Amino acid sequence: MSGNSLVLPIVLWGRTAPTHCISTLLVMDDFSTIITGCHDGQICLWDMTSDLEICPRAMLFGHTASITCLSKASACSDKQYIVSASESGEMCLWDVNDGRCIEFTKLACTHTGIQFYQFTIGTQREGRLLSNGLYPEILVMDATSLEVLYSLVSKISPDWISSMSIIRSHRTQEDTVVAMSVTGILKVWIITAEVSRMQDLDPVFEEESKPVYCQGCQSISFCTFTQRSLLVICSKYWRVFDAADYSLLCSVPSDNDQSWTGGEFIAADKVIIWTEDGCSYVYKLPPSEHFRSHVGKTKESLVPPLIYKIAERSDKELLICPPVTRFFFGRREPFHKLLIQGDSAGQLSLWSIPDSTPQQPLSAAAELQVSSTISLQEAFDKLTPVSAGIIDQLSVLPSKEEPIKVTASVYIPSQGRLVCGREDGSIILVPATQTAIVQLLQGEHMLRRGWPPHRTLRGHRNKVTCVLYPYQISPRYDQRSLVSGGVDFSVIVWDIFTGEMKHIFCVHGGEITQLIVPPENCSTRVQHCVCSVASDHSVGLLSLRERKCIMLASRHLFPIHVVKWRPADDYLVVGCSDGSVYVWQMDTGALDRCVMGITAVEILNACDELAPATVDALSHSAVNLKQAMTRRSLAALKNMAQHKLQTLATNLLAADNADKGNLPKYSHNALVVQAMKTNLTDPDMHVLFFDVEAVIIQLLTEEAQRPNPTLVSPETLQKSQAGADKGGSFLANKIFKQVKETMKETIKEHLLDEDEEEEEEMRRREEKSKSLSLLEYNLTMDTAKLFMSCLHAWGLNEQLDNICLERLGMLRPHCPISFGLISRGGHMSLMLPTFKESLLRQLSLATGLKLTLSDIVGKGTYGVSRAVTTQHLLSVISLANTLMGMTNATFVGEHMKKAPARPPRPGGTPESPRRMQATPPQPSNPALQAQIKQAAVAATANTGTVTTAAGPPGAPGAPPQGAPGSPSPGPALNVPSVNEGWSQLAAMHCVMLPDLLGLDKFRPPLLEMLARRWQDRCLEVREAAQALLLAELRRIGVSGRKDTIDMWASYLPQYVDTVSSPGSTSEAPSPAPPPPDAQPIETKASEEEMDVVDDDITTGSLVRYNVLVSLLVMLHIRCCCCYCYSYYYYCYCYYSYSYYYYSYYYWYYYCYYSYSYSYYYYCYYYCYYSYSYYYYYYYY
Amino acid sequence: MLNSQRSLSELPKMSAASQVERAVLEEEFNWLLREEVHAVLKQLQDVLKEASRRFSIPSPGLESQLKQENFILGSSSMDQVKGVLTLQGEALTQADINLKVAKSSQTMHFQFREDKQWKLQQIQDARNHVNQALQLLSSHDESYHFKTGTEVNKLMDAVMLQLTRARNRLTTPASLTLPELATSGLMKMFSPPMPGDVMVNFYINLSKLCLMVYQLHVLPPNTTKNFKHAGSSVLHNPGAMFELNNNRFEVSHVHKVECVVPWLNDTLVFLTISLQLCQQLKDKISVFSSFWSYRPF
Repeated sequence: MSGNSLVLPIVLWGRTAPTHCISTLLVMDDFSTIITGCHDGQICLWDMTSDLEICPRAMLFGHTASITCLSKASACSDKQYIVSASESGEMCLWDVNDGRCIEFTKLACTHTGIQFYQFTIGTQREGRLLSNGLYPEILVMDATSLEVLYSLVSKISPDWISSMSIIRSHRTQEDTVVAMSVTGILKVWIITAEVSRMQDLDPVFEEESKPVYCQGCQSISFCTFTQRSLLVICSKYWRVFDAADYSLLCSVPSDNDQSWTGGEFIAADKVIIWTEDGCSYVYKLPPSEHFRSHVGKTKESLVPPLIYKIAERSDKELLICPPVTRFFFGRREPFHKLLIQGDSAGQLSLWSIPDSTPQQPLSAAAELQVSSTISLQEAFDKLTPVSAGIIDQLSVLPSKEEPIKVTASVYIPSQGRLVCGREDGSIILVPATQTAIVQLLQGEHMLRRGWPPHRTLRGHRNKVTCVLYPYQISPRYDQRSLVSGGVDFSVIVWDIFTGEMKHIFCVHGGEITQLIVPPENCSTRVQHCVCSVASDHSVGLLSLRERKCIMLASRHLFPIHVVKWRPADDYLVVGCSDGSVYVWQMDTGALDRCVMGITAVEILNACDELAPATVDALSHSAVNLKQAMTRRSLAALKNMAQHKLQTLATNLLAADNADKGNLPKYSHNALVVQAMKTNLTDPDMHVLFFDVEAVIIQLLTEEAQRPNPTLVSPETLQKSQAGADKGGSFLANKIFKQVKETMKETIKEHLLDEDEEEEEEMRRREEKSKSLSLLEYNLTMDTAKLFMSCLHAWGLNEQLDNICLERLGMLRPHCPISFGLISRGGHMSLMLPTFKESLLRQLSLATGLKLTLSDIVGKGTYGVSRAVTTQHLLSVISLANTLMGMTNATFVGEHMKKAPARPPRPGGTPESPRRMQATPPQPSNPALQAQIKQAAVAATANTGTVTTAAGPPGAPGAPPQGAPGSPSPGPALNVPSVNEGWSQLAAMHCVMLPDLLGLDKFRPPLLEMLARRWQDRCLEVREAAQALLLAELRRIGVSGRKDTIDMWASYLPQYVDTVSSPGSTSEAPSPAPPPPDAQPIETKASEEEMDVVDDDITTGSLVRYNVLVSLLVMLHIRCCCCYCYSYYYYCYCYYSYSYYYYSYYYWYYYCYYSYSYSYYYYCYYYCYYSYSYYYYYYYY
Repeated sequence: MLNSQRSLSELPKMSAASQVERAVLEEEFNWLLREEVHAVLKQLQDVLKEASRRFSIPSPGLESQLKQENFILGSSSMDQVKGVLTLQGEALTQADINLKVAKSSQTMHFQFREDKQWKLQQIQDARNHVNQALQLLSSHDESYHFKTGTEVNKLMDAVMLQLTRARNRLTTPASLTLPELATSGLMKMFSPPMPGDVMVNFYINLSKLCLMVYQLHVLPPNTTKNFKHAGSSVLHNPGAMFELNNNRFEVSHVHKVECVVPWLNDTLVFLTISLQLCQQLKDKISVFSSFWSYRPF
């Protein structure tokens, strides 16, 4: 599952904001966030300041269909959850602060309205979600698990519920649900304590059912001010009813073919009503006594006076669907009364509704001016520098401002290259990491035009709509061929190595919309085909080998929704958007059947059962993304991460060979570039997914393969290199070399085309550098460079920054980078490029200083949210640790240009160290080191004292006292400076960050997320998590730890409570229950060993750490496993062991700061040793 | 339409002729938005109103005035099961089921209890979807001026979603698991009460009103037969097994009888026609929009 591996997305949005056709919106109770859902299934979070400035912050991906409703899902303000529902019946619970998906579910029915309500049962309050939709019940769900608890049904003429409202009546002290059915019958349910406690699905029948003759009801709402009236809005009129006996008090028809769509009470005697086209009106109702005396004799002509009018805006011309209007009022300071409108252009408009009535005579309604308005595109346009697209530097034509849009792209991980089809019909091939570095980071590449080296394929007359690299999906295809389709109805086959156009297929009568690879077990003829889908509702099988179309299935009446396969029967199954299914014989091209209804569903399902991997839903990019996410993290890595350096290389090679047949090629790639679009008409935006685990493994593999020149002959090296280069065989390398020559030529031409007047010398230099790095750049190191540069918290420690820049070869980002967060089930939150604006505003407010954009480069992301911080710190520390363990792992120097295992060129190897010597600007290395060390030690001591002050005297203070004693200064000076740089980097992120940033700019990592990584399968990640967890526990001090225990204690089984309660003594936890009978003798031995070490450190607080750590770990285990009981037992064992273990780890932790590497490694291996026992225990 | 495609391939030259053609196309597109779209919308509304008329909507208070229709469900090949169902709007108000059990020659007879009627949710859903589609269409009448093709597409998408759902509700009955069926309210509606070894289900499939009767037998608890839970399905085959209240059952006989409901057939035809109208309009727009998106480079 993708949630398990540590994957960090980085987004390159490009200049065009994603289409956001707003379908529903919500304002959080504290008026600091607006949430909008759109027709394409994304959710956008907008930050709002108290003076109503709005800035889009993040976009949440995960729904596959239009968002139908949003609702808050928690009552407390510190934990802000929302729930969203989509047209296809999906429901998702999100954390508003960081965009994490907490829970998701899918029901067969569509919800059109959800409301959160806390039912009071005795003294307890329970959060419930009530939903209505395209079904005749109201479902009551648990607000945290999204489980349906019971349903409210009607006995008398049940029908769909169009709107509902929940109120706690003052009179009866009962929670009442009032709903209106589509046929205009008002229904009332009373939720009593017995009903709320009910767990089974017994229906609850309505208390009252009254026809009120309101056809086409749009919404109903209670007057929360008096609780005496009910407002019902139908498309042709709105009415006010008495809330007690539902008698009609007043009715107002809509004038000239406008239709009302909603309304609310804004005060006891004022209502606001809005229309479909976006106008709103504020009416003043007669005083209630007067009102009620007229019951029964209401005249239609008695229209309450209109006091405000909010007209539609003049620039509404280009809207493609009706805007969404909602009204919210604040129950806390500053008591905003806001009317918010979201439209199809992704624009939000706010009106602040005044409490007072205008001074002018009531006959003329006053016009209300808009208070604030912003659209997604406006926010994008305001950015400086503009939001970067992945190949913007190659796409800006000299004469034009806007870059040419990328319309289709595919990433070829084996070559690290990105193929981008553009709207002018050209296709660009470019090294992905290089171009991402240009977009994200500052460096010498900024001076070069046309960097990185790329090649352009020209052939399509117009927009390229899809690109496919078939070899990536199945090795049966030629490694050279790339297939692309365009709006010019053609499908073109390219040779990517020569850039030659091999063949043009012109078989379709419409734009090509999709290219698909047939499954493995098709007939040999079909196996060498690609399947193309076009907008004229036709499907073609284009044989790449025969260069002809072997079948064209056309004349479908409706657009093609899905293409599936029955290889055994030689059938191609085409599902159309209206639900009909066409079965074609691939060999003869004959239409076998055309069915609808149940049979159609059954045929489609049967295809899934046969070959689950060959499903290709065309409908939505979010679906494809989900598939991509699940495919990427396959089992190949699972075992590897647990092995150590030496065995790893051989394993990798073996696994690679074994998996070749059945695993997708890109299953274990450090970097995957995924193109996404929220809407079909949008240009592509690109998300770079960094798999931390895979980066670590690749780094370690390369380290293990690093040649020892005295021992290894060039031949073997060549071989191992060929194997390690996952895409290519030895033959491929040869081809690469040939191709390189031709490519050099084309690039030369390209350059000549573009920059004619450029200086001769400059060009020569450029070409030289290009030819060097054309194909020989080291993908792994490049990926690591890009990744580390993006993650490092720049600007906190000047010296460290210098080391990073000059010695480690990292680059400073241009501006804060938009990261993302992947949560459960492939749900994803991506920061919009505008997040920095709101972050800046927020930080400026917190610190009281005027901050500029450059102030938050790098370090800014640590102030975004706790989950993001956790992920980033884990990644940066684990990677820095890995790099530290490698020999001379720096991103500067010659070796970046080629794979490390290549036999050294004559003179090549001696050159790189020489260069390195030359690069540092500081006059003396040892002097600098000493400085840094002092700073670091000072910082450590500093944190130490801080904690001492916070914690009980003597408790956490003890280890720092021991720390300076343990390292010997001797070895530190002999250590290569690169490694020291990495260790400082790790140390800074591990412990110093909270102090350096200050708590207002730093969101601390989440303990439960760290605890979850406690047993991560990747050793480096695991260590980073453990170190971070300890640092964090130390940082929060005694009181923080106590709070944490208090918070989690209630979730623990009873018998642990006694131990974990904070008031208990700081003694070691009660001895473990008798171990399982098959316990190995070794464990006992290790226990004793650790006991010895344990004696060295005796601190009271240590035990409390243990309690906390084990508590968190246990909680995690408990969450993961449904069948808890057997696990409790093991938890318990684990718990007692972690005590010993932890004391030891603590020791190791302090060694970490001392720069004594021998010591460090000793501890490191020792810990590793002890781990294995835990593992045994844990999995036993 | 053909014109536009031809001109597409000629456009790169940007000759004077194509400029003229461009202007003509633009005019044609404007005509499409101004005239043709409204003509199609009008036609759609007519068809859907006709469809909606078929579902007689119960106006509150006047439920009893709805027309009652009797349907005799049976098949010529077998006479074990015979049913007479009375459909009133969307609800089955009366049911008479005669069941001949194979082993004994006696005929079992069941009827709905007087106070009960069974609502066919499929019909209600289809009706509501059609009404929602009509509501969407009515908001864009003759006076409304469409400005872009996307606007029309968006409207068509929304309408088609409703129509597809309406049709799907009729063509794909809900698939239920056997325990779900056994515990549903339908089992409690009969007098005399259904015996434990008989289950019935009503649903609409396309234009047909279907009655399923399952005969069950209890599996002995220590049976050696490998027990496997049957999944959810519209039609369970003999041999399907399930567990309920710690008893294991196996379906021994399945009887399916059906009868065509003429007005449902009409409705389905109307829905199919209107879906095709929508798609054709979308296709027309898409020909132009691919042309407009064209930008010479």
